[in-house]
Amino acid sequence: MKVKKWKLASFLLPCLLLFALIYLAPMCMVFGSSFFEWKAGGVFKFIGLDNYINAFRNDARMLTALKNTGIWVVLQSVVHVMLGTVIAFMLSKRKKGWKVLRTIYMIPNVVSAAALAVIFLNVFNAQYGIINSFVKTVTGKPFMKNWFFDQNSAFITVTWSWLLYTGMIIILVLAGVLSIPEDVVEAAKIDGATDMQINMKIRLPLIRTIIGTCEILAATSMLREFELIYLTTNGGPGDTTLNLPLYLYKTSMTDNNYGYANMMGVILIIAGVIVVSAINRLFKMNEADY
Amino acid sequence: MGGKSFKDILWKIFRFVFLGFMALISVGPLVWIVMSSFKSNKEILSSAFALPTSLSFNGYKAALDLAPIFKFYGNSVVISFTSTLLNILIVSMAAYVLARYTFKGSTFITLLLSASLLVPTSALLMPIYKIMMGIGMFDTRSGLVLVYAALGLPTSLFVFKSYFQGIPKELEEAAYIDGAGFYRTFFVIVFPLAKSGLATGAILQFLTSWNEFMFGLVLTKSTEVRTLPLALNYFTSQFSFNYTAMFAALTMVILPSIVIYVLLQEQVTTSMVAGSVKG
Repeated sequence: MKVKKWKLASFLLPCLLLFALIYLAPMCMVFGSSFFEWKAGGVFKFIGLDNYINAFRNDARMLTALKNTGIWVVLQSVVHVMLGTVIAFMLSKRKKGWKVLRTIYMIPNVVSAAALAVIFLNVFNAQYGIINSFVKTVTGKPFMKNWFFDQNSAFITVTWSWLLYTGMIIILVLAGVLSIPEDVVEAAKIDGATDMQINMKIRLPLIRTIIGTCEILAATSMLREFELIYLTTNGGPGDTTLNLPLYLYKTSMTDNNYGYANMMGVILIIAGVIVVSAINRLFKMNEADY
Repeated sequence: MGGKSFKDILWKIFRFVFLGFMALISVGPLVWIVMSSFKSNKEILSSAFALPTSLSFNGYKAALDLAPIFKFYGNSVVISFTSTLLNILIVSMAAYVLARYTFKGSTFITLLLSASLLVPTSALLMPIYKIMMGIGMFDTRSGLVLVYAALGLPTSLFVFKSYFQGIPKELEEAAYIDGAGFYRTFFVIVFPLAKSGLATGAILQFLTSWNEFMFGLVLTKSTEVRTLPLALNYFTSQFSFNYTAMFAALTMVILPSIVIYVLLQEQVTTSMVAGSVKG
């Protein structure tokens, strides 16, 4: 069936326009202006690679933000995904209550992250939070640790707010495990394989691409993470919990240093491409096997 | 045999404790928030775990007095619905053409549109802010609608495209033979057939818009247009000493999402799996 070209174009155009407005034009602006000194009040001057050189040579905050972002990407793609996978395998036995548990684990992922941030702010509150009240009840002594705002505990407390909440991973891995054909597992059982062997040698390799997808989701989510830091520690105390998106936000919205903020945008985009292609390669995402 | 069953029992206990602990940290904080919203300030400060002595709605009254929560609710509903409709309409049209027709540049367009999935959207914060300022959409609901519809573009495109590819061509061919044009065929034949695929995309798009915070924070400034997640930002400072009000506000923000999720969970779960497993 022959359809006139302009009719096809009319269907593509709205989507392409939206893409151009929200992705393409901003991408060009981010890359282009990262080579300029661009500040509020009409400062706009080409400075070549100076923004990049300054970032890596003279900006301690930038290095902290990069380091924290890196640590969180690694923690999330190792601990978070592993934890979710283990829970999903436990639930895949379909013991009584597995569906209820799946729902429960997912709930922190469906409420808005902004709400979750304020909830954690209360849970870890020094005066009336659950954690401190619990310690107080157990030890009988007053306990006033200010989890989010104490130099020693801020990082780990912020990390807690996403590391253990693996609902999304559980749902994906569970869907994968449950879709493995029964006869594959049955054959191994007849050959005398233990449950553990079946999990490690048969089920896990069969859902390789799903684990890869989880890795991509987990790792890239840390390149986006904003509200759980912004609404709790706001990067503090000092810069203990500063990450790249938050530093970018502060540089552009508070300091009005646009060229420098966009340089960080470029680094975020490059980091995204590196992370995704590394995971693609590691998990051989483009090769199907069953 | 005896040793094995002992190990089994230990394993069972471990699994029970582990899964129980995970469940506790998942919903414990939320239950605590809801419970505390019925307490008085004094009760909250003196005993964190105790049940409220009487069911007091003072927190809710205070929260509604201090902040226009219903206004935020309204904005969230309007913005999320509109951006979902816009996303579905625009993206399904493009996905249909890309799924059904090959022409010069069609592969390039598909690649270009899906590449947006790779971009951490926080990287585009500043340019999007400038563009919205430039086209006069800063601090408007329409501005947020446009941005939110675009945030879900790559996921929707993927979901819709693979769904359209699964619909047999014969039905459309029959429609053409009966004299229906291109537009009519899409809106009358294909669109209804793709209902469940479109619903999958719609659920993901709605959740994205409903929970979005960062762009809402940067692209709006007046209470008239701000959404529910932003209300929380405003609460933490407004209610710094009125804990009941803050807990009540939190309850009002989280409860709708939880209720909707629990009611539609099979559908939401399928959508999330379909939207993430991008082959």
